[in-house]
Amino acid sequence: MSVSTDEASGTAARTAVPELLVAAGVIALGLFTIVDAHGITIPLSSNVVGPRVFPYAVGVALIVAGAGVVLSVVRGEPAHPEAGEDVDVDAPTDWTTLAKVIAGLALHIAVVDRLGWALAGAVLFTVVAWALGAQLVRAAAVGVVLGFTLQIMFVSGLGVTLPAGIFEGVSLLGG
Amino acid sequence: MGDIGSLIDGFGVALQPTYLLYALIGVTLGTAVGVLPGIGPAMTVALLLPLTYTLEPTAAFIMFAGIYYGGMYGGSTTSILLNTPGESSSIITAIEGNKMARSGRGAAALATAAIGSFVAGTIATLGLTLVAPTLADFAVQLGPPDYVALTVVALLTVSALLGSSVSRGLASLSIGLLLGLVGTDSLTGQQRFTFGLPVLADGIDVVTFAVGLFAVGEALWVASRFRHGPVETIPIGGRWMTRADFHRSWRPWLRGTALGFPIGAMPAGGAEIPTFLSYAVEKKLSPHKEEFGKGAIEGVAGPEAANNAAAAGVLVPLLTLGLPTSATAAVLIAAFQSYGIQPGPLLFENEGNLVWALIASLYIGNVLLLVLNLPLVGLWVRLLKIPRPYLYAGILLFAALGGYALNGVRTDLWVLLGIGVLGYVMRRFGYPIGPAVIGLILGPIAEEQLRRTLAISQGDPSALVSSPFAATVYVLLAIGTVVTLLVRRRAKRLVEEIVTPVSGPTA
Repeated sequence: MSVSTDEASGTAARTAVPELLVAAGVIALGLFTIVDAHGITIPLSSNVVGPRVFPYAVGVALIVAGAGVVLSVVRGEPAHPEAGEDVDVDAPTDWTTLAKVIAGLALHIAVVDRLGWALAGAVLFTVVAWALGAQLVRAAAVGVVLGFTLQIMFVSGLGVTLPAGIFEGVSLLGG
Repeated sequence: MGDIGSLIDGFGVALQPTYLLYALIGVTLGTAVGVLPGIGPAMTVALLLPLTYTLEPTAAFIMFAGIYYGGMYGGSTTSILLNTPGESSSIITAIEGNKMARSGRGAAALATAAIGSFVAGTIATLGLTLVAPTLADFAVQLGPPDYVALTVVALLTVSALLGSSVSRGLASLSIGLLLGLVGTDSLTGQQRFTFGLPVLADGIDVVTFAVGLFAVGEALWVASRFRHGPVETIPIGGRWMTRADFHRSWRPWLRGTALGFPIGAMPAGGAEIPTFLSYAVEKKLSPHKEEFGKGAIEGVAGPEAANNAAAAGVLVPLLTLGLPTSATAAVLIAAFQSYGIQPGPLLFENEGNLVWALIASLYIGNVLLLVLNLPLVGLWVRLLKIPRPYLYAGILLFAALGGYALNGVRTDLWVLLGIGVLGYVMRRFGYPIGPAVIGLILGPIAEEQLRRTLAISQGDPSALVSSPFAATVYVLLAIGTVVTLLVRRRAKRLVEEIVTPVSGPTA
């Protein structure tokens, strides 16, 4: 309402396609839910309302919601991406940084059992901090300290189980 | 009077030195994490859950109570000094509080927020003490159709209230409901939406889901649009609260509490509406109307009190009905469930000692928070200056820790990452996060009660409305929807007026 029409339509044109794709995705998810729910086995013992009914309802809700979003986008009401202190809402998506952070997480998951939590944690911390602009060496140093501190604190202090990995046998790390 | 005795017993437990220490750790960590920018109360509780995995229930819940209240306090500090509301219920605090801080009255703003939170938290906890046991006694008599009615109310209002677009809220809720279906059907033992993957057979854990959506999703979102450059914080300036400030604050504190607790306690409530209402009321009643929008202390005192009172109010349906009405409450339910404790009408009977110790520790936590926050606020402010790359790397590190420690299974982390990507997409396209988390928790409850109702009635759907209680709830829902739509429209207009100072006679 308070935004002038020119601005609004300009933003809408720029963002409408991805927005519609996501809304279409919600509708597709709803269709999938209904189709997949159709394949749930209903045991003979099951009484009136079996395990399929609620999934059907959720599927319908997804389709309705998705259609609602499509409608609002078509009517020129753009989405409001979540604002935040460290988020520049107007900036274009920085795919490189995003990919680096996701890669950091994936790498962490891939090596956590083999290397142990402390080192895998250090890897995660280093990659993410570096991707967001921290100095690599400093990030790595902080990451290693944090990784080991957290593992010792949680394993020896709180009794939580975390993998020791290559430090198998080091009791402080739960090996 | 039995309740008073139970409460005293609760204090007897919570005041033991060990438990006092857990309460202190809880409020300290809750405040510290809650202060960090980008971290709202729900994420605070979700991220700190791993700390309690190995504690015995009483200690764990006393710590939760501290983290919960601490997260709320911490959030208000952030909104005043950074203008970055961690959640929608802090928007108003951010508006007036931040203006106050910018005009050199940060110290007074922080003080009125802290004292207001204390006053509201204490009165509202008292309300919880009085209302909850009675409500639990009543709730014991509720049958499955009544629960269906209550969950319908909670689901609908939550999706409509959290966020600016109703259809996106509904989509978010439905995604949560769908993911809540994943796993083994509790009534027939059939697998649903598991794709034959063993990691999904037990369903998606709420903690993994909350950490994934809030922490991982937020970190990915920030990474994709990172605002580079130095962090700007406003120094805490000016005099502490003066007599005049007190004089202007105490009524808003009380009025905010009076709005926040009852609305927060309703199955449809939440904390957002009472803060808006409180702001509107204070603006109307204040003799200093001209200061609103430029840093009026009433505009901090009232909404902040309403916010904290609502936080205590939310515990009423949580403890007595097992219904979460905020994302934070959904995470708290998950915490209960991880101890095999089901919040609901029988909680006060079955786990009386635990609940009363929890309630007692809410009072204690409030006092500790006031003590921590008034003198130590300068310390918390330093946390605001953590370089952002390290901050988000640390958030992800903690998320990964929690994801792994939950079951000690690596594959859970892939689920966490997948949910994180979902959280990113939802943020990017303006889908609110809260409804999904609540849907995941409420969906299974709603389904089970619905199917029980229809099993008892042998498929006759009129059973859903035949109980007087359920029928009343549906009627109230219809009325409530209309009223909230009106209130919402007003509140929205109010926010727009404040956020975008439109030139013209609108204000």
